[in-house]
Amino acid sequence: MSSLDLSPVPGQLRRHNWLTRIWKARPPVVIGLCLGWLALVVIAAVFAEFLAPFGFAEQSLLTRLKPPALMGGPAENLFGTDDLGRDVFSRVIYAMRTSILIAIMATVIGATVGTALGIVAAHFRGWVDDVIMMLVDFQASIPFLIVALAVLAFFGNNFLLLIILIGLFGWDGYARIARGLVLSTNGQGYAFAIRTLGVHPARVYIRHVLPNMLSVIMVQITLNFPEIILLETSLSFLGLGVQPPGTSLGLMLGEGRNYLTTAWWMGIPAGAIIFLTTLAISLLGDWLRDMLDPNLGNRNV
Amino acid sequence: MSLQFLLTKLLRGAMTLLLAVTFVFIVLRVSGDPAQMMLSDEASPESIAAFRRRWGLDGSYFEQYITYLSAIVQGDFGDSFRDGRPALQVVMERVPVTLELGITALLVTLLIGIPAGIMAALHRGKWIDHAAMSFTIFGQSVPNFFLGIILILVFSMTLRWLPSSGTGSLWHLLMPALTLATATAATVARFTRSSMLDVLHQPFMRTAKAKGIPHDRRVLRHALPNAAIPVVTVVGMRIGGLIGGAVTIETVFAWPGVGMLLVNSVNQRDLAVVQAVVLLIALTMVVVNLTVDLAYGWLDPRIELHNKKATA
Repeated sequence: MSSLDLSPVPGQLRRHNWLTRIWKARPPVVIGLCLGWLALVVIAAVFAEFLAPFGFAEQSLLTRLKPPALMGGPAENLFGTDDLGRDVFSRVIYAMRTSILIAIMATVIGATVGTALGIVAAHFRGWVDDVIMMLVDFQASIPFLIVALAVLAFFGNNFLLLIILIGLFGWDGYARIARGLVLSTNGQGYAFAIRTLGVHPARVYIRHVLPNMLSVIMVQITLNFPEIILLETSLSFLGLGVQPPGTSLGLMLGEGRNYLTTAWWMGIPAGAIIFLTTLAISLLGDWLRDMLDPNLGNRNV
Repeated sequence: MSLQFLLTKLLRGAMTLLLAVTFVFIVLRVSGDPAQMMLSDEASPESIAAFRRRWGLDGSYFEQYITYLSAIVQGDFGDSFRDGRPALQVVMERVPVTLELGITALLVTLLIGIPAGIMAALHRGKWIDHAAMSFTIFGQSVPNFFLGIILILVFSMTLRWLPSSGTGSLWHLLMPALTLATATAATVARFTRSSMLDVLHQPFMRTAKAKGIPHDRRVLRHALPNAAIPVVTVVGMRIGGLIGGAVTIETVFAWPGVGMLLVNSVNQRDLAVVQAVVLLIALTMVVVNLTVDLAYGWLDPRIELHNKKATA
């Protein structure tokens, strides 16, 4: 016990460290802007009913394809109206909700499945490890958009399948990271020490190993999240993701594509929001990575 | 190049392919009766019976799997129900158009990405570095379909300089290739920069300078070859991204290649064509990864040695 007392549990030490490190670092202006934009997106997604002046499916056939308010359109349609007279501004807000909701659920699925499989692979080693790593290699070697398209073709489109499918995108990254971290912590003294005390392996992983992995997994989420948004919006853009009458940022851009010459405002706002959101998360992720990984130093990778 | 290294890599590639075929087989069996799914709704009972016989659908799953596997190996992916021609033939017709776009995009990637990365590394912290890094951040976050639409809006609709869709001339190729290349060029620039920065700080670079070797020669002959290895890997990894990106880009620019065929076939549920495209892409990826691995071993003999030690 004495050796355990001398060196405090690294998990708690590091947990304390990365939180304080983020807290104490003064974020540059750009990061502030990114956080501001993301807060705006989340607020729009959560409070869509209260913020949108119109319903997302509310049609008004008399005011179709009207330009944005500042370009001579009706004052109540800030971003103009689409081919069915629906308010683009309201639709964009609801579309943010759909796209963000799908991305969050998919991230939770991918991170959970991936981390769990990574831990399982590292715990059991042997053929379990081999099979899981083979699946990881397979997933990484084939463009996921293609796999997603194929599955949607065979099973037909429904919302639940879409979320699960998008969720499975990126699990390989989490699995690889979790496996590597478990292998290295299993080699460290504290995990062995706790285990010799007779603690159940599951408890060791949940209470001691998982908290240690949290910061790395968070960085992986910032890498994975923009890709998930891009996957969902790509699928919806191609007409194979979220189906009308639902909206998604990708679907709006896809629908607006046919009206580029006459009503560019139908799709461009949605596209710009996708871009700004992925940009904000990428910049934030870069910054987090520099904060959390002291080994990287100033390599700027 | 040792035989063992080559065989390990070949075996891995074969495993990936087998997994891909198995994946399609499982999806096909889980999603419903293949006879009803692969044939159109108006298929006659005779043709359904013929289909069941051909794919061994009355046998056990294992027998079906073997039948399926042997058919795929012989290049038989079933027939497209749109015009009844073999799916493989339908796909192969589209391959040259896609290759034209893909190879151009790859060239653009290398021509933009590598020089941008080198310049950024040589002028670290100067405006050229900031410009290059801003470009990589832009390129990695902009959705390719959004970029394509903005280009169409600006250059086709407003300025009327370039055609917005179709094939035929170099002008048609310009916007799709640039759009497709942006994300990959950004990644390549980023990796080239960091890889060059690593190499530029190596002791042998200082030695070269002390020996009085001119600057350009130091960069091109001493630094670049050593920085090339991570760059080759990342180019290989991004080819998957190019193929995935081609699906959306071809749709945006109405480029009649494999990607557009895939999207249309998914929409019309022409499943024979879908599975042919998926398996061909898997094959392409395996070949690309194999090439990268071999290029790797050739560029840096140490890797092969290391691998041998690891497997021994």
